Amino acid sequence: MAQLIWNGLFVGSFYALVALGYSMVYGIIKLLNFAHGDLYMLGAFTGFAMLGAMGGLVHSSSLVALLVVLVLTMVTTGIAGLAVERVAYRPLRGMPRLSLLITAVGASFALEYGTRIAAGPNPRVYPVRLDGASFTVLGARVTVQQLLLMAVSVVLMAGLTMLIGRTRQGRAMRAIALDPKACLLMGINVDAVIARTFFIGSAMAGAAGVMAGGYYGKIDFLMGFIIGLKAFTAAVIGGIGNVPGTMLGAIVLGMLESFGTHWVGGQWRDVFAFGFLILFLTVRPTGLLGERVTERV
Amino acid sequence: MKKFTMGAVLAVASLAVSACGQGLLGSDDAEDSGPITIGMAIPLSGSSADIGPYMKNGAQMAVDEINARGGVGKRKLRLRVEDDACDPKTAVAAASKLVAAKIAVSVGGYCSGATLPTLPVFDRARIPMIIPAANSTELVAQRLKHVFLINGTGDQQAVAAMNWMTKSGPKKVAVLHDNTSYSKDIALRTAAALDRPGGPDKATLDAVNPGESDYSANIANVLKTHPDFIYWTGYYQEGGLLLRQFRQASYTGGFMVGDGSVDAKLIKIAGGKAADGVFATMTQTPDTIEGAGGWISSYKQKFGSDPGPYSTQSYDAVRVAAEGIAKAGGTDGDKIAKQLEAVNGFPIFTGPLKFTPQHTLGNGGFVILVVKGGAFTLRDDLK
Repeated sequence: MAQLIWNGLFVGSFYALVALGYSMVYGIIKLLNFAHGDLYMLGAFTGFAMLGAMGGLVHSSSLVALLVVLVLTMVTTGIAGLAVERVAYRPLRGMPRLSLLITAVGASFALEYGTRIAAGPNPRVYPVRLDGASFTVLGARVTVQQLLLMAVSVVLMAGLTMLIGRTRQGRAMRAIALDPKACLLMGINVDAVIARTFFIGSAMAGAAGVMAGGYYGKIDFLMGFIIGLKAFTAAVIGGIGNVPGTMLGAIVLGMLESFGTHWVGGQWRDVFAFGFLILFLTVRPTGLLGERVTERV
Repeated sequence: MKKFTMGAVLAVASLAVSACGQGLLGSDDAEDSGPITIGMAIPLSGSSADIGPYMKNGAQMAVDEINARGGVGKRKLRLRVEDDACDPKTAVAAASKLVAAKIAVSVGGYCSGATLPTLPVFDRARIPMIIPAANSTELVAQRLKHVFLINGTGDQQAVAAMNWMTKSGPKKVAVLHDNTSYSKDIALRTAAALDRPGGPDKATLDAVNPGESDYSANIANVLKTHPDFIYWTGYYQEGGLLLRQFRQASYTGGFMVGDGSVDAKLIKIAGGKAADGVFATMTQTPDTIEGAGGWISSYKQKFGSDPGPYSTQSYDAVRVAAEGIAKAGGTDGDKIAKQLEAVNGFPIFTGPLKFTPQHTLGNGGFVILVVKGGAFTLRDDLK
């Protein structure tokens, strides 16, 4: 039982890191950024390339190297997120929602198959693997690397919450989420704030990518697809556009998968998770912490 | 009215197709002196991309050898490779391309799930298929006249797994698959054998969803049944992750993988130590076949690397195809198929070839490998 909860928490915190970017972008410009999962993949590959370039340095101090690479990768994927926004989304802003959705799918494929050209179609194995001792807490096996990764996730998420809740930047983001036109009239540089949102969201996805690479070890150019879908589900369950809700949704999804597998068997894991999503949408379409949206006329 | 239009379109389409078919055959006769094309649809990208080049090299080696001896009936052979990405849709497109390229025989097929939908494509065009690597029993279950399998079937692999498990003595075996045709076939047959009295018992039969990274939920599910042996019948990517995560969850019992997981990447993904002592059911690879030394060194010389899994089967597939074409005296698919059925004692790596009435090998040739020092080595030939 304790093991199931721990597994759910761990997977959930991974989903949360990816889901936050989804949720932030949706919260601000009501766009489902389908390329988000692929930025996670891009993060994994960027980290792979950097670790490869560092070569011998890596093995002597692998943990430090991984943390340095994590930060560098966040910057790189953040910039990639900016580029995607500039090229694929900004020119279409103000167009019908559907064209944005389609360009998002296009951006996703461009990233996937671009990576395939650059890095090849074969799965790659991370040069640095997190290994560590494990111990038992209340009957659940916990490994040191799991704790480390969760600590990094918590720090990143706490930083993000602070940023949105306490800073001028965050206030601007919240204001744009409410009414972009009014913000423009009030002299807020809407384009810049949206770009920054993309940067932050993509950087978080990139961080999750490097962490997945270091923990699981295997990366391939299609790895972003499933996690993108799961992150989207997590965001919807928690209330898309709502930051604490997204984190809660990700934990709930992780738990659902963990317990669902336990109760109904392994091959039903995704059926259970997505079936729950449908059930949830019919009962509470705005998500756990989502607010009821009143249509503005 | 709508129905009528549809009918008309279909009629025109089928006319066009049959006309094309005749056109194909007609030009084949006209091109009697040109090279004979052998087609091969294999994964060069996607989840099993590592295997494709081995198969391609093996086939190319046979083609070059046959051409060096003057070809088949004075006609040279030519190999044409298409990527099936281990994906059913891509595979059908690749098969159609090969049919359009007027191949005489197809020698491709690695992922069973991707190879299955290509069977009717080749069969309709009356092109014999000699499948070197895919081995789901479903491939031959349709009893298509043009489909031959020169790899052991899922049935034979399950028997080999069962033999080894009975011999090496685990008590409770968990069987895991990934819900693809190939993997599920072996898993279900193994599980059925475990349910019968005698030999080890079944702990659980479970499946995972391929393509994910975290299998901790599945692993907890398997471990609650307390197995002391686990048989994974899927491919190496998930196999490596499962192996690593099982060991992290402090599972210390035995672990065995099916032939789809026999790849050096499995050991890398699992992370070296975790893979030590892992068994595998595998059809013979060049390095486990006695007397293949000469073959291996000429392969190395040609391609600059060690021959990988299924290079020998692909090599054999081309040779068997050439034999069929030579005996049939041309590229007529029906005649080649008839000649293949009549093949008796043709030497291939797994022994003298004679197809069973189901177009499979009489002897699957499965052996047990074990991971030792970061490589798969022969453990038991099950003879």
